[in-house]
Order: sequence, then C-alpha cells, then structure tokens
Amino acid sequence: MDFSFLDDYEEEAGPEIVDAGEGYRNIWVLAEVADGALCRSTLEVMGQARDLADQIGVYVYGVLIGEGVEPLGQELIAYGADLVLVADDAALAEYQPETYTQALACLVDEKRPEILLIPATALGNDLAPRLAQRLNTGLMSHCTKLGLDMSERLLLGTFPVLGGEMYHTVACPEARPQIATLEPGYFRVPYEDTYRSGDVQQVEVNLSEVEGRLSWTDLDAAVDLPSAPLTKAKVVVCAGRGLQDAEGFGLAEQLAAALGGVVAGSRGAQDEGWIAEEQVVGVGGHEIAPDLYVACGVSGDVYHYFGVQDAKFVVAINADEDAPIMKLANMAVVGDAKQVIPAMLEALGA
Amino acid sequence: MRIIVPIKQILDPDGLTFRRDKERMFINREEYIIGPGSKAAVEAALRLKGEGDEGSGEPGRTVVALSMGEARADDALREALAMGCDAAYLLSDSAFAYADLSVTTRVLAEAVARLGGADLIVTGRESGDTGAGQIGPRLAQALGYAQVTDVCALVAGEDGIEATRRWGEGYATVKAPLPAVVTVAPEAFEPRLPHGARIMSAYREWDVPVWDADALELGEAALAPLLTKRRESFPPPLEVGEVFRGDPETVAEDVVAALRQQKIIGQAGG
Repeated sequence: MDFSFLDDYEEEAGPEIVDAGEGYRNIWVLAEVADGALCRSTLEVMGQARDLADQIGVYVYGVLIGEGVEPLGQELIAYGADLVLVADDAALAEYQPETYTQALACLVDEKRPEILLIPATALGNDLAPRLAQRLNTGLMSHCTKLGLDMSERLLLGTFPVLGGEMYHTVACPEARPQIATLEPGYFRVPYEDTYRSGDVQQVEVNLSEVEGRLSWTDLDAAVDLPSAPLTKAKVVVCAGRGLQDAEGFGLAEQLAAALGGVVAGSRGAQDEGWIAEEQVVGVGGHEIAPDLYVACGVSGDVYHYFGVQDAKFVVAINADEDAPIMKLANMAVVGDAKQVIPAMLEALGA
Repeated sequence: MRIIVPIKQILDPDGLTFRRDKERMFINREEYIIGPGSKAAVEAALRLKGEGDEGSGEPGRTVVALSMGEARADDALREALAMGCDAAYLLSDSAFAYADLSVTTRVLAEAVARLGGADLIVTGRESGDTGAGQIGPRLAQALGYAQVTDVCALVAGEDGIEATRRWGEGYATVKAPLPAVVTVAPEAFEPRLPHGARIMSAYREWDVPVWDADALELGEAALAPLLTKRRESFPPPLEVGEVFRGDPETVAEDVVAALRQQKIIGQAGG
C-alpha cells in the first residue's frame, strides 16, 4: 500500500507543554537519627514516600546526614528506600541549622529531587523552613495527609488550621523541590522488608563556607513550665465521686499526667476535699472547652455538664451505664474507674 | 540592642464556630486579636528589655513591633505599643494580599533591613490560625542570622543569647551569637496586660507608620507566591455514644486504641 500521503502530513504544533519540574525527579526522605537509631517518624515518612513514588513511577532516596550514620542505610532500604545518600562528616555530628541547610542544599542542587519529605519533629521544624528559604521554594508544613494531582504531577499537602477544626490543602506549582514536613503519629510505619536491596552511597558535601553558630550546652535541660490554667488546658481529666477515695483521685492525676493535661474535679470531688475550689468544673466553677475531656466517675448532672459542653471530645468512665454523662460522651466506658484507669495507663505506656 | 518582633493579627478563634456536618465555618463575632504566639513573642522581648516583674533586662534595649497585614493590623500594633514596645511599623499594601510565607519573609526581611538590621528577632513559634511555623527560620536564612526555635526560656547578653528549647522528647539548652532569630513557645510566656496610661498614649499620641510595597522597594516579581491553596476541608463529624463494655483491661486497650486512631491523642500518649 502506498503511504506516501503521510509524507505531506505535518503535525500541527500544539501549545507547548511546560513541565515545571523539568529535570527534577525522585522523592527524597530526610532521615532523622536519635541515639544511633532511626526515629519512628522517619519510618512513617518513608511509608508515604514509597506510596507516592509508586504512583508517579520514581525512586525513593533516603538521605542520612550526620557522623557515623552509614550503618543505618540498609535499614532505610528495608523500609522502602531504593537508594540511600549518606553525607558523613564530622561537621555534621551535631545539629546546626547552617551546616544541615548547606549539606541538603548542596545535594538538592546536584541531584534535583522533585519532592523532599521531612518529619515534622523538633529538628525538622527547625530545618525545613530554613532550607525552603535557601532553595527559594514552597514548604507545606505539618501535613497530616499527602496526595497527588496527577494531571499536573504536583504534591498536595493537607494540614490542620485553626486548631484542627479545618484543613487546608496546598500545592507548590512552580518551584522545585516541593518540600513537605509530616506530622509524627499520623502515618503508619511500613513493614520492614529485609529482602529489599539497594545501594548506600557516600556523597561529598561542601561545608567549607559555613559554620554552625549554635553551641549545645545541655541536651537534657530541666524545664519548669507554668502548668496551663484549667480554662486553657487542651486535655482535662475530671475526677468525680465515683473514684471513691484519695487513692482513686491519685489515679486521675496520673492519667492527666500521662495525657499531658491537667486534673480537675466535680463538685463532689471538692466536697471530698480532693481538690481546691479553683479546680471545680461546672456551674459555679469553671466553664472549660478542652480538646479532650475525660470524666472519671462523674455522673454528669446538668450543672456539671454546662461547664464542659464546649469540650470537643468527651470520654466518660463510669460504672453506671445510665449516668447522664454516658449519653453525652463521644466514648462511654462502662466500668469501675478505679480498675479502668490503671489499665489505660498501661495501654498508654505510662 | 535592637529587638524586633514580627507579629500577626488573627481572627479571634473564640468568635468562630465550626459545623463539621455542614462543612462550614461560621464567624459569629468578627474580632481581630494578636495571635497567642505573637503575643508571647512581645512578652518575651519586653522581658529582655527589663520591664515588668520578670525582667532580666539592661538599659539601652529597644523593642520594635512589625506587622504585615491589612489596615486593621494597626490595632494589633497599638496594643503591642501599649504593652511596652518602643515603636511599631505596619507593613500594608494591597499587593501583599496574596502573600504566602516566602513573600511574607521577603517583606519582613526588607523592613528589618530598612530599620538598620536587628540584634535579635523574636517571633512566635507558629501563628494562631494557619500555624505553619515557618517565618522564624525563613527570616533567619533570609537575613543570615542564627536561629533557635520553640524556646521556653530566654536570656540575652551583649554578645549572645542562651535559650532553652524543646528538643526530641525533652528540652535542651543552647547558646547562639547575635544577631539571631528566636521563636518562642506561647505556653511559656504568659503575656502581660497593657498599661492603662500606655493604652491612652498608644491611641492618642503615638504614630504607627505604614510602609507599603513602594516604600520597601518590592516589585511585583518579589511578591509572587510559591504556594497555591487548592481546597479547604473539614474533619468528619465526631461520633457520639460509642459504648465500650467488658473487662477493664480489654476496655482500656480498646479506648486508647480508638483515641489514637481518631487522632485525639498522639502515639506517645498526650
């Protein structure tokens, strides 16, 4: 057959497709090391990176920065990395914003990742914005969910705003790499697959022009923060007469400490002499609006409930299933608070 | 020593209600306040200046408040003046309306440079609304200053600062030379109330100059944001009335697991 008619055919030039990420490929995970081991949050980030990489068909790189961190490379591979870059340098032994920023910026300029994920730990929160500023790119911080816009090949970061009552989802369409920090505890840790294989590569970074300016004088400082007043506390554990005695009240205090909150009491607890009047919740006491309110052995009559109706999440522990608070609680636990709280403390690992 | 405090005015969250089932936010009372992080930053700076009960200050320290925002942020700056700041500047321009954090950093850095640089910049760990926590470190990089974030105790000498910050699971003490950027934890610096006489002066006598994009010599290119907002969404409504029964051990484990799964508590506990 004669196909010569095809020779005259010229493809019409369509609009030029501009790939903002031209030349930028692969997903990087900055690994955080504490006490010679990978942090749990790093593994969570690794799981997310693997999922995203499989969707857009790229490799996952683990990035290890520090001194003597190379042995951890294989572990990163077992958790999902295809390749691990190790910047091992005596100058990187302790965290310094300047040197860590310089080391990462060097690597990014040279190898051009399209996405860089960092755990939102104390270190990550300190480093990521500085790095983003240095690389002149956008940072989606404190993400609790990641997604992809496949039509534009963009990372979408979702993070809570206004105290977690709402989420914003943002993208970084022009600048590369797209950097996101991931809030610890929101993503699952992937399975460790010791049969995965990959390279652990030593890389050189140029640190000659920068110098860390911080001197860490005490890595285990004791801090005595003023405890949050009852009305501002995020977590409140309220003790009621159902705890029976001072020993039971002690359990409520322990639970409050384990949950990082403060202890309060019902009018009944005040009558028993366990708490002072300033800690009473309810009508005539404080009206509070914590994120989490745990009522232990509190029946929750109307006068009590008016004081806590703005609480975002209520857990009630009470032996009486028909107590008023049990109808109003998000989670109603039927049982003797004096038995349930010790078991909860154990489950919390306190 | 010049201490500069960038502050952010936010919509008072107490005036908002959220209906998760309707996926809407309702503004019941539209009132603007200084965000809790920014207010703590003002307090921390004033303590360094040595006013109030808990000062470790020395003479010759001045505190300057800066705010980028709409014209109404003037109120926030006057409140900062009433608390004890020595001067305040409002950075306001319609061209700043679409600013993201990189643009805000550029505007603030430009303003700091115009003020002749700072010895110390104190700001909140994160804002009370969007809570990104980026301005401090970004500003430090833009100006080439040292940085310490999430600080809960702060002392400043002539040549440097000593700060206690949250680090890993606990706290660490760190020294940094000046100039430096410090971001403070709001829970550690309970803000003072403005002084009555200063409130009168702040509104009647003192000036809050306004600097716009031209004054800061920022062109259109410098004000182009890098991030774009795609969506707003709401968490699913909380379920009411989930009942747990059984022997104490199993029940306790189930409850803790359910609380963790719903992100009511973190993995570590609180």
